[in-house]
Amino acid sequence: MRILIADDHPIVRHGLKQMLASDPAATVVGEATNGDEALELARKVEWDMAIFDFSMPGRSGLDLLGDIKKEFPGKPVLILSMHSEDVHGSRVLRAGGAGYITKDSAPQELTTAVRKVANGGKYVSASLAEILASECSSDPQKALHEKLSDREYRVMWLLATGKQISEIAREMGLSPSTVSTYRTRILRKLSLASNAALVHYAVRHQLVG
Amino acid sequence: MSEAATAARSAAVPEGLSPEVTSEAAPQAKILLVDDEPKSLFALQELLSTLGQNLMIAQSGEEALRLALKNDFAVILLDVRMPGIDGFETARLIRSRERSRLTPIIFLTAAADEMGSMFRGYEVGAVDYLQKPVVPEILKSKVAVFVELHRKSERLKESEDKLRRLAAHLISVREEERAHIAREIHDELGQVLTGLKMEVTWLAKRLREKPLVEKTDSMCKLIDTTVQTVRKIATGLRPEMLDDMGLIAAVAWQAKEFQKRTGIRCRAKLPPEVKLDIDVSTTMFRIFQEILTNVARHSRATRVDMELGVNDERVSLEVTDNGVGIADSDLNGKKSLGLLGMHERALLFGGEVKITGTAGHGTRVSVSIPLRQRT
Repeated sequence: MRILIADDHPIVRHGLKQMLASDPAATVVGEATNGDEALELARKVEWDMAIFDFSMPGRSGLDLLGDIKKEFPGKPVLILSMHSEDVHGSRVLRAGGAGYITKDSAPQELTTAVRKVANGGKYVSASLAEILASECSSDPQKALHEKLSDREYRVMWLLATGKQISEIAREMGLSPSTVSTYRTRILRKLSLASNAALVHYAVRHQLVG
Repeated sequence: MSEAATAARSAAVPEGLSPEVTSEAAPQAKILLVDDEPKSLFALQELLSTLGQNLMIAQSGEEALRLALKNDFAVILLDVRMPGIDGFETARLIRSRERSRLTPIIFLTAAADEMGSMFRGYEVGAVDYLQKPVVPEILKSKVAVFVELHRKSERLKESEDKLRRLAAHLISVREEERAHIAREIHDELGQVLTGLKMEVTWLAKRLREKPLVEKTDSMCKLIDTTVQTVRKIATGLRPEMLDDMGLIAAVAWQAKEFQKRTGIRCRAKLPPEVKLDIDVSTTMFRIFQEILTNVARHSRATRVDMELGVNDERVSLEVTDNGVGIADSDLNGKKSLGLLGMHERALLFGGEVKITGTAGHGTRVSVSIPLRQRT
């Protein structure tokens, strides 16, 4: 499998080549240091798949992806990026990218992704899959925490970040007993048993951060 | 963002911020003399010439109006009795134009005129009345007072303008610096860490001894956290979305982040994505951030509703919270530098910020910025 790589950082290109070297089926047939070079290279050499950095000097990102897909519609392009999936991931897939990998997960995921993509598939990492799932769930209101009132939501968040009842009362200008009542109601609405479970819930649904 | 784009946006020091050339010789103030009698005009000119100011003359109300449209006068001396448009009507017309709304007018009347016309004069904006024949010393000292007043207000306007331009300059310099540092940190530092991680992983795959594998594992984890930190710092300085994806994506992200960071629910109503001028986008984004900071700090709100609107002419933002509401005293207080900053940022692009709050019923901030005509 003939692979093109493009990244403006030599150290990353070096790392990529090293990782791909462990796959006997993969050969790097060309390297580019920016988007325009990548496009030129794609026209010059024979290749089967491309691995591009999302942000490079000159043409890059979705623009570069669009250009490549226009000229070589059938060939898979894997996008590497410094940015986490929630920023660009789903856009890259929608623009025709065969996969999106953050650079820090590349060591674990690259070879799997390359194999998957080479066989005509799309590579979606676990975290991107979660984002896509939440994007296409037709009714975001279904999440239990969406049923909380605004005030309950804030109390929930304060509890989830480890605040004591008395602190919450002070911060929100309520009496401690009112906050306790809110807490009971929140636990019931979320069907949870304890503060620990609540923290877990909040983390799992990315409500704190 | 490319280097070229940065270079293009890098701000030169705006005009007028360079050290001032000492202006001992203050520019002459303009004084308008209006009288249908050439002889009286001549006499006035003679009398006031010792003041060393720029004297302009008009022989009719029409002529005076024309001049008042094009010049800022320190004071206008106006004869009441003139054929055609008389002095009162002339004064009324002069005062009705925005430019000359506050120009002081001194009426000159013949001795025969009665008190009644004097009141009429004050009604249409006269600041003083002098009876002909005028006493030279009185006229001269009165005019001199207005000239001095005019000069002072000009100087005030000038320094206000300078401060505003300085603020604008500082805002844009800071924004560029932030963007630059964010890019350096994110791209350079981030990429090196990425490379480092790849190397460590390569090493890990070739190790067989358990303690060594454990070591490389913990190294990888350290690198991952460092990458996260680098991302956080860079995004805090300037969110990359703003440059890559535009204002709407950046605002959506900021709203989500805010909710995650404060537990205050933030509902965003956003238009479909459009490409907007990057400087206007930055301004809007920073104002939005400032509003959210204020909500988190002062409002005790549990909910924020925001709506972003874009049409051909302007981009608008409405943010409402359900908190304690801002008091009028806070709107203009000395501590409200953040609010002042929002106003200044919007003003830079001809926009405006309106803040209304009622105690106990939350605060509403409306921002509107015109989109620059593309040339």
